[in-house]
Amino acid sequence: MKIEPMRAFSSRRKESSHSAGLRICRTRSKGRKAAALVIPGLLLCSAALADHVEKHFKVDAHPVITLHNPNGTVTVKAWSKSEVMVVATPASDQVEVDAAQTGNRVDIMTHPVSGSISPDGLKADFDIRVPEDAELQIHDDSGAVNVNSVMGDMNVETVGAGVDLADAAGYLTVKTIDGSFQCERCAGRIEVSSISGNFRLTDLRSYQVRAQTSKGNILFSGEFLPNGMYELKNYTGVIEVRFSPGDSFDLSATSLKGKVNNEAKLSPPTHQQHFYSKFNNSLFGSFNSGRAKVELSSFDGTINILKRN
Amino acid sequence: MSTMECNEFMEQLGPWMEGERHGSARAHVQSCPECRSFVTDLEAIQAAAPTLSIADPEPPARVWAVLRNQLVDEGVIREQSGIDWQRDRPRFAGLFTRVPRPALAGAYLTLLVLLGFGLTAPVMQQTQPAPTFALAAELDHAEQTTVSSFDSSKSPVSADLHENLEIVDHYIALCEKSVREEPGNDVAREYLYQAYQQKADLLSMITERGDSNQ
Repeated sequence: MKIEPMRAFSSRRKESSHSAGLRICRTRSKGRKAAALVIPGLLLCSAALADHVEKHFKVDAHPVITLHNPNGTVTVKAWSKSEVMVVATPASDQVEVDAAQTGNRVDIMTHPVSGSISPDGLKADFDIRVPEDAELQIHDDSGAVNVNSVMGDMNVETVGAGVDLADAAGYLTVKTIDGSFQCERCAGRIEVSSISGNFRLTDLRSYQVRAQTSKGNILFSGEFLPNGMYELKNYTGVIEVRFSPGDSFDLSATSLKGKVNNEAKLSPPTHQQHFYSKFNNSLFGSFNSGRAKVELSSFDGTINILKRN
Repeated sequence: MSTMECNEFMEQLGPWMEGERHGSARAHVQSCPECRSFVTDLEAIQAAAPTLSIADPEPPARVWAVLRNQLVDEGVIREQSGIDWQRDRPRFAGLFTRVPRPALAGAYLTLLVLLGFGLTAPVMQQTQPAPTFALAAELDHAEQTTVSSFDSSKSPVSADLHENLEIVDHYIALCEKSVREEPGNDVAREYLYQAYQQKADLLSMITERGDSNQ
């Protein structure tokens, strides 16, 4: 299918003169639309649904890319070019994708062609390439968000979409409602919150991690960097921290109604005085010289501090 | 006289709080106890907000941060506006007379939590009083009056949000029970206030989405 240029939509939307813009959508002339109606066979329609469009934007260092997509799979990967590539695959004719550049910022947004589309139908998938130092701001209610090897700051907000980051750095803030969060080989600073999402943080080299989910499990398996701060908290579920013999951390683990299981040989806390409460199951102590600070807290969940294999 | 429904009145809540009180809206408030109570709550908060910095204890900085972020998100203020939120708190209260819905609704919900922290959290550190759950009642009320008005969307996302609201309500009930049984348990209180915060955030999201779907 042929993609018509931006001017086809100029009567419906006026772009600002200082921004380079593109409306990405699967377009047809009225005549072609009518033809499609009378041509029998679903194959053509199926082929049309598979259509996607591609757009490139030249950018400088540290570009900002924003994406607002109600539903769909979003994949972002870093590459070595000073360019942002957006490949969008709208799920239907009722969906349009706008992509526009203003200075060093690229804004991408999915929206309905008409107001009558069902929330489920407002869907588009994205495959995006960005420079390594790009900053990302992604809103994707449903579907999935996958980001790989992007070193800039990142803000991801979803409702049900799972968020999967790998080899990321910078300041990462992730908020989901019930989407899961996975972060592999991430560095920098991580703040993640959810209501019922599970978190899996593996092979991290982050100096600050703050993770809070209400009804979810949290797994942390990574290095505790000197002077690092690691706060993991839930209401229910399992918090599992895996440490290696060379780690050095000051530990505070409290579960109000649940259990704390510990395999670390702790000495009395070196840096901080803790107070045991008669109400809670608490564990305080230092592992090696206590250079990092680890705070684990659960309402009625289980906390496991286990040796890393 | 009034044919106005609750959701129509909620549409006019912004102008109402700015003093524009037309006949049909006025009639609705008189005839609808829920909206009357909601408006009374808002007016009480509006009246109390300017004196917060003088009469009330210092709320945690994170509460201001949450409120600021929410207002930035909703476009009420800009991040680079140069406002010092600690210094300008009294002036900040005046925002609520000018902001549109859903910003007003979101700010209202957050302010409930703010008041919860401001009025209750510092006290507990000193005297450990028997807990009261006025904040929970306010949030429940906000849930009934606000969420039900925007409950038309049946999307999976809306269902997700409502399902998670039930989860948070469940934790609030657990935490309230725990605080009742152990009034001196600060950790339980902290969990309780965080659950309130989550509920306020969720109600704001549901309100915004309901609004955008209409």
